[in-house]
Amino acid sequence: MSLATLHITGPLATITLNRPDSRNALSPDLLASLHARIDELADRCTPKPERTDSGPHVCILTGAGRAFCAGMDLKAVLGDPDTARSLLLSLAEFTYKLRQLPCVTVAVVNGPAIGGGCGLVAVCDLALTYTDNKMGFPEVDMGVCPAVVAPWLVRKIGPGRARQVLLTGGLLSGLQAHALGIVTTCVPTPADLPAAAETLTTRLAAGSPHALRATKNLLNDLDGSTDWPLLEAAANLSANVLNCPESQAMLRSKLEPSARQ
Amino acid sequence: MTTPTPNPAEEVYAHIDAHTGYIVLNRPDKRNALTPAMLDLALAHLHTLLTPPPTGQPACRAIILCGQGAVFCAGFDMQLVHNDPATLPALLTGLSKLVRALRRAPLPVIIAAHGGAVAGGCALLGGGDIIVTDRDAKLGYPVLKLGISPAVTIPALRQALTDGQTRERVLDTDLITGQHAYDLGLAHVCCDIREDVLPAAQRIAKNLANKPPHALAATKQLLNHLEGTDADEPFDRALAASFSLAGSPDQRARVAALWN
Repeated sequence: MSLATLHITGPLATITLNRPDSRNALSPDLLASLHARIDELADRCTPKPERTDSGPHVCILTGAGRAFCAGMDLKAVLGDPDTARSLLLSLAEFTYKLRQLPCVTVAVVNGPAIGGGCGLVAVCDLALTYTDNKMGFPEVDMGVCPAVVAPWLVRKIGPGRARQVLLTGGLLSGLQAHALGIVTTCVPTPADLPAAAETLTTRLAAGSPHALRATKNLLNDLDGSTDWPLLEAAANLSANVLNCPESQAMLRSKLEPSARQ
Repeated sequence: MTTPTPNPAEEVYAHIDAHTGYIVLNRPDKRNALTPAMLDLALAHLHTLLTPPPTGQPACRAIILCGQGAVFCAGFDMQLVHNDPATLPALLTGLSKLVRALRRAPLPVIIAAHGGAVAGGCALLGGGDIIVTDRDAKLGYPVLKLGISPAVTIPALRQALTDGQTRERVLDTDLITGQHAYDLGLAHVCCDIREDVLPAAQRIAKNLANKPPHALAATKQLLNHLEGTDADEPFDRALAASFSLAGSPDQRARVAALWN
């Protein structure tokens, strides 16, 4: 079974993070699979002479199992600076592709969305979750700089609130994430999520693909979402902080219980 | 560095407690109305708090800016502006320098804006990463009434608010409540009563002091870069706009009218 799956039903595409045993943590392999699925979807949306339809114009991003995404798989890159850097660049590139996708993107946040996982939520155009979900950006607590997600969060909730959220670290409830504007819809329980997601995506799918894509492109231009060099620099900054001795020592003590004294 | 000794005789004093550096506006009988000397002193204290000791770890990991007395800060001391036209440019320059320095401090800055933060006092909030206020506090920029441009506050304010909200706040001279400021995103924490503001700021500072300083510093620096407040250009331009009205006959007449 692939680590990320793509299902297309008419105008609706669904990309699912499918590494439930590891709470869909973003490992190099999962990110490689996500890249493959999103490239496939982008190709499916590209007009070609042999195609009669314009491809999907609504895309759900969600997680298999109980978590949406536990964030970067930091354990996999501990003590390996080159892999850490390429993982962060891969995440940055995936967020960029997700933003440029000619679909309105909807994060269905079915469970915890932490760090880079919450970053994926911020990249999507719309997001739904439930009241007592666990979300947020605890990167600074771990000695990590949330640089890849910062540009997206600043665009999503504004620089002032992003400053509070990213510098304070810790976790947010679904309700708090909704109040901050990180998610756009908050339902009472996880059981309410599928129906709410279906109502929303059905409404979106009924819109004109042409008008929707033009609007999304304009919004991306207006808010600087097409600035790849900024994102690449952010990924390198994040790698520099992650690979410094202080962060490595801190991560080792948090991620490897045997290293704790 | 030696820990600065609290000096209640100073109109702005500083001290360090539990890894938090405090800069305290201390002119409570004038509602902490700002003088050029106070702004210079606040900046000097900030530099001292940020200077690492010759050996060992930096003494503080977060900064709290707060005020003694009933309110955080009532703005510029208009009596001084009335007495000496040279005061206003000095106040605007001092304010702009202090806001930039707080914004660029490599550790989190929390502002405990209890009771009220008006005009130049509200502009100080632009230097903070996290703003704490209380529900009934009075906040805003009523300086157009005095023929003074609130331009100097705009570069930082527009990061907290949307463009539409920023225009409304600097053009409308009405004051808003702390609750309204919280709803807008101008404040991040809103306490029920003003007495709770400083303790809330202290809890935030304590939480932040436990986080790795290098990750906080890198994150803050990136946020400054993303919003452009790491550059002097927007601040210099805003200062020039505020300067352009300072000392004009209209401004002087409006300030003089406060005493007539």
